[in-house]
Amino acid sequence: MRDDVVSRALAQGRSILDEHEAKGLLSIFGIPVTRERLVTKKKDLAAAVREVGLPCALKACSPAIAHKTELDLVRLNIASLAAAARAYAEIRQAMGDAPGGVLVQEMVSGRRELAAGMTRDEQFGPCVMFGLGGIFTEILKDVSFRKAPLTRQDALAMMDEIRGHRILEGVRGMEPVDRERLAAILMTVGAIATRDARIKEIDINPLIVRRGTPVAADALIVLDDGGRATKRP
Amino acid sequence: MDLSFERIFHPRRVAVAGVSTDGFGFGRGILLSLLEMGFEGELFPVNPRGGEIKGLKIYPAIEDIPGEIDFAVIAVAAEAVPETLAACRRKGAAGAEILSSGFRETGTEKGAALEEAVRVEAARGIRVIGPNCFGIYCPKSGLTMLPGPDLSRETGPVAFVSQSGGHAIDLAFLGKAVGIRFSKMISFGNGVDLRETELLKYLTTDPETGVIAMYLEGVTDGDAFFRALDEATRKKPVVIYKGGLSEAGQRAVASHTASMGGQALIWESILRQAGAVQTASMDELAGACLALSLLPRRPYRGVTVVGGGGALGVAACDTAEAYGLQLPPLTGEIFEAVQAVLPKPGSSAANPIDIANPYVPPQTLEKALTAAGQDERVDIQIMVPLLYHFKALAAMLGLPSIKEATPYEAMAEAGARAAAATGKPVCAVLPNPRRTLADLDVEVILREARDSFLKRGIPVFSSLAEAFSAVRHAARAARRLEGHPD
Repeated sequence: MRDDVVSRALAQGRSILDEHEAKGLLSIFGIPVTRERLVTKKKDLAAAVREVGLPCALKACSPAIAHKTELDLVRLNIASLAAAARAYAEIRQAMGDAPGGVLVQEMVSGRRELAAGMTRDEQFGPCVMFGLGGIFTEILKDVSFRKAPLTRQDALAMMDEIRGHRILEGVRGMEPVDRERLAAILMTVGAIATRDARIKEIDINPLIVRRGTPVAADALIVLDDGGRATKRP
Repeated sequence: MDLSFERIFHPRRVAVAGVSTDGFGFGRGILLSLLEMGFEGELFPVNPRGGEIKGLKIYPAIEDIPGEIDFAVIAVAAEAVPETLAACRRKGAAGAEILSSGFRETGTEKGAALEEAVRVEAARGIRVIGPNCFGIYCPKSGLTMLPGPDLSRETGPVAFVSQSGGHAIDLAFLGKAVGIRFSKMISFGNGVDLRETELLKYLTTDPETGVIAMYLEGVTDGDAFFRALDEATRKKPVVIYKGGLSEAGQRAVASHTASMGGQALIWESILRQAGAVQTASMDELAGACLALSLLPRRPYRGVTVVGGGGALGVAACDTAEAYGLQLPPLTGEIFEAVQAVLPKPGSSAANPIDIANPYVPPQTLEKALTAAGQDERVDIQIMVPLLYHFKALAAMLGLPSIKEATPYEAMAEAGARAAAATGKPVCAVLPNPRRTLADLDVEVILREARDSFLKRGIPVFSSLAEAFSAVRHAARAARRLEGHPD
């Protein structure tokens, strides 16, 4: 058995990697993620906030909670240590008995939110997704897919395929998105899927564009536990 | 080249199992159709009751046929199919099409068991098309599907592979009418043995096939199909209509990505990734096949529309844009040259070129097309002669019928000459809003006109949208063959 985050989660009977674990895995493969610290004890909060810097975001981080925004377990733009302590207490209380901790994360400033991901199609196997991120993913469903593994050309083509592809250009004074960096992220998502059959689904959303460069601000990884795990979010 | 495929599509000795001397059974139907089509090889009808049909001896069993056979058409009851197939294999047949139904499609255990028995027999060394299918149509050899006693014997570049027999026979008849010529057509039904991937691989190497079209509902091995398709589209255009793309059955999933992956979206993306041309209907598939049969492989973008007045103008621009094509406005010398040939007033030499006269003289059309085709932004031209208006002209001139008034032959010639002079292909759109019983004469003239254009290699469509869609698909396929993405 490999000693990695996937093996450990499966050994614990889990079918979900939480945000921190998922981003840790993605960053090993070179996908840029937010700077963050996981805090499980209140006394470590101040140090974490100092390391990450202000303003920061606090989020519940638990394999038992897949959709933290819907449960109001996210606090953004925290500007002081005192505000961080209040947010920590609120999130902790709302989490109840859920395992895990609170993630202290840098605020990524960028007005454009994209999404990348992977799902396994019954007929075609792992397929990589690209599209508009944040709340627009579900509202507009403006996404495209490619079967993994992806060539660079596949990755570039799927960017042009979404209806809102002009968001990648330098609109309204924003820098154009670095398409090569974005292509590399999409190809990497495909490569992770073809390398590790235990990874069933990947969600990187939002993938925030910071000065033209995409950064994974949230992520979720679903594992194939062969239907053993009973704990589903 | 696989020799067994050659013996399947161009068999010399064919057994037809399940032929009764009367009634309208599949076996009798296919035998009569093969005779009507003038099938080139020898036919051996088979039925335990024996007898004779159309001067042919009916053999009691496959074993009784003298010598070897190349191919068999099996239309016996489902229970008797595995045994009949085994007999065909022992007779040396390379393949068999099984028209009989009563297999997996029934949803019964018995049907599934029979289908498994067919699969096992096929694996012993005979290629199987079907069961529950309409079989093979091959104009060159005269093999035909059911019910097709009068399909075209003219061979051509388009191969069609279809899970559905109904779509296959419909396209065979439609093709005959609109000018699509087929190399071979295979309706594979339940597809126990030969199906999408293997047939696609075969057609990719088949020298008789230049364009591959497919109707699919599902594939058995997505990976293998994807690889075969990716390979095929680098050599020949592949046009696919995927049926059954509903948004039904969203799985309960935790991630957003998985919930986004509706079947339709994944299919669309995968087909695009593999370089196929995807259509949303059989009619659209037919249009793409026609364009790919007749037009040179080029990445068309700039189009002119040349017509005889009406509201063509604005509609043409709007429609072209929706199909990713452009109507470059003519300017300068070319504009002047086009304007010089147009009757005034009311005409427009910009693009669309409005001749402002429903009775466009063919010479005017030819001159306008020849002048406009000089513009280097123009890749292809679409002429829209409103032939249905000539009925009124015939009445005005006191001519005996619309036929005497309608110069469709000269118009087709004008299009062909302009295409030859400019090196830019010409398509024709022949619309017809006159569709009452009293206007059947118009319908007749339009059919005749269609044949005139087709004879000269000019594809004909019924509407501008249909033409634009077909040209767009042809352009897409050309870009893929040149190795460019979209």
